[in-house]
Amino acid sequence: MEKWLRIYSMKLCTKEVTLFIVLGIIILLLPLLMKSPYQMHLIIMLCINIVLAMSFAMLFSTGLITIGAAAFWAIGAYASALLVMNLNLSFWLALPLASIITGVIAFMLGSIIVRAPGVAFVVQTMVINMIIVQALGQMEFLGGWGGILDIPRPNPIGSIKFVSKTNYYYLILFLLLLTVVVFYALYSSRIGRAWRSIRLNPRLAQTLGINLFRYRLLAFIVASMSAGLVGSFYAHYFGTIEPNTFSVFKSIYIQIYGILGGLNFYLMGPTIGALIMTLVPEFLRIGKEIEPILTGGILILLVIFLPGGILSLPERMGSLAAAFLSRIKKKVSLH
Amino acid sequence: MTLDLFIQLLVNGFATGMVYVLIASGLILVLGVARIFNFAHGEFYMLGAYTTFGLCQVLRVNFFISIISATLVVALFAAICYRLVFHHIRGNLLLCAAASMGLSMMFERGALLGFGTQERGLPSAFFGVVAIGNVTMPVEKMAVILLCVAIMLGLYYLLMKTKLGKAMRAVKLDTEVAALQGINTMRVYALSMAVGCSLAGLAGGIIAPLFSITPGMGHAMLLKCFMVLIVGGLESMLGGVVGGLVIGMTLSFGYYFLGGLSEILLFIIIGVILVFKPGGLFGEMVEDI
Repeated sequence: MEKWLRIYSMKLCTKEVTLFIVLGIIILLLPLLMKSPYQMHLIIMLCINIVLAMSFAMLFSTGLITIGAAAFWAIGAYASALLVMNLNLSFWLALPLASIITGVIAFMLGSIIVRAPGVAFVVQTMVINMIIVQALGQMEFLGGWGGILDIPRPNPIGSIKFVSKTNYYYLILFLLLLTVVVFYALYSSRIGRAWRSIRLNPRLAQTLGINLFRYRLLAFIVASMSAGLVGSFYAHYFGTIEPNTFSVFKSIYIQIYGILGGLNFYLMGPTIGALIMTLVPEFLRIGKEIEPILTGGILILLVIFLPGGILSLPERMGSLAAAFLSRIKKKVSLH
Repeated sequence: MTLDLFIQLLVNGFATGMVYVLIASGLILVLGVARIFNFAHGEFYMLGAYTTFGLCQVLRVNFFISIISATLVVALFAAICYRLVFHHIRGNLLLCAAASMGLSMMFERGALLGFGTQERGLPSAFFGVVAIGNVTMPVEKMAVILLCVAIMLGLYYLLMKTKLGKAMRAVKLDTEVAALQGINTMRVYALSMAVGCSLAGLAGGIIAPLFSITPGMGHAMLLKCFMVLIVGGLESMLGGVVGGLVIGMTLSFGYYFLGGLSEILLFIIIGVILVFKPGGLFGEMVEDI
């Protein structure tokens, strides 16, 4: 173990390893630190938001901007709730099945809309989100606008029962970790490099033999599947789902998480963005009435002054400082 | 189905369609020239409606004068927004879209806090019905159609015959070359934003007597306009006109025959168009982010 750590630390340097270990322990022991169930609820919602924002970032890594992430979240939630309530399946079977169903629907929709990149894709994903919310609301057997009530809790595994928020927290933590590992593996593989090259220059990527349509469709499906996975979790955690939870607004918020954190950081950016956007309004105790005004204002200021997101702050400070220093040097040399 | 009913539905569809055309063409103008995908467009429409309401109902100004002043107010407001926000991030589509979402959130909530949630309405400026044979139509609808057609013709004149329109088309074609020819591109950007948003404001003023005015009206209209853009394509004004009329007719005929299911019909039509023409009926696929 020690030897392995030493080999690994040569690559990473000891500081980072200790940071990771400390962070990991804090994240694992978080339920002990939290006092009220409401705080636990916030943390669980934060994890869901992080996964959704990561799915947005995955599409952005191929140069597509989606405002439809919440639609696939909805599909996962409804699919899972219907599977469990109508077919009496176990939650543990419905969770992967919901994700797969979301993937299939994403494949069907994606093969239509992924062909049109740029602004057309933004509009189309947005309209798909509206259509799905509208369809869920109109169809009576899906609960209509009132939604589905009394979704059963996950079945207990052995002696672990899903009553307290702590167990839900560990479950969503596992799902988050799973998403991070899968996404990280994809980003560091050949596929991830192809995605980044598409984002840099689609035409150049095409001349290098990268099939734009297939790679983008793959990103669309994987991102949607992760959204469907947390959708299933959300349905059974929250107990009720209604169409308006999954409106275009949620998708816009998801997009803001990504932009806030920094779009060049596919995993850390969404995490930081969702962390700030979920927790800061709670800690500031801002009233629900003026919250959109503040969010909008923060978004505009951020876009103007820090377009690379919060994670680009050190870099930007560095470049600003360098510019400042060079200006001083010029003045000194002139005198 | 009788001919009378058909004509009645046709006129209804034409009236709603032309309002969509007005708003969507503003959206297309801003997107094409200033390269801003304006999510706050619906909010300018709402602002136009509220300004018309305020002038007409509270200050007792003539309906037409209040529409015109509402348009000017919205244009000024849009130009200020451009200078304060979009000027700093011009050319970057994603950042502009994000900033306009921020603006949209601020305006909508601001309107909700400032004007309250209650629905407001204007008394109609036109009374009576026109009867042609067996077909009776309210003058109001005809007036909306006439006004919208006149405004679209005016927009055509502005874009095709005036120097400003030429400059706008040149900037849309190629910004750098246009700047080399001595066109002040910053000014053209700001003016196109003002013109595009004032079209939305104008539409808001025109429909103020027809629909109820609420802070959330902008969103519903913006989503309809996105459908128009999907059907017609994002590049050409002609696409906006055709898309708007298609959506208006579908809603008008669909509501009569299908009721609440007409929205689903709309989605099916959009889906079919997307399968065969991914960029819309008059659009091309453009790869840019």
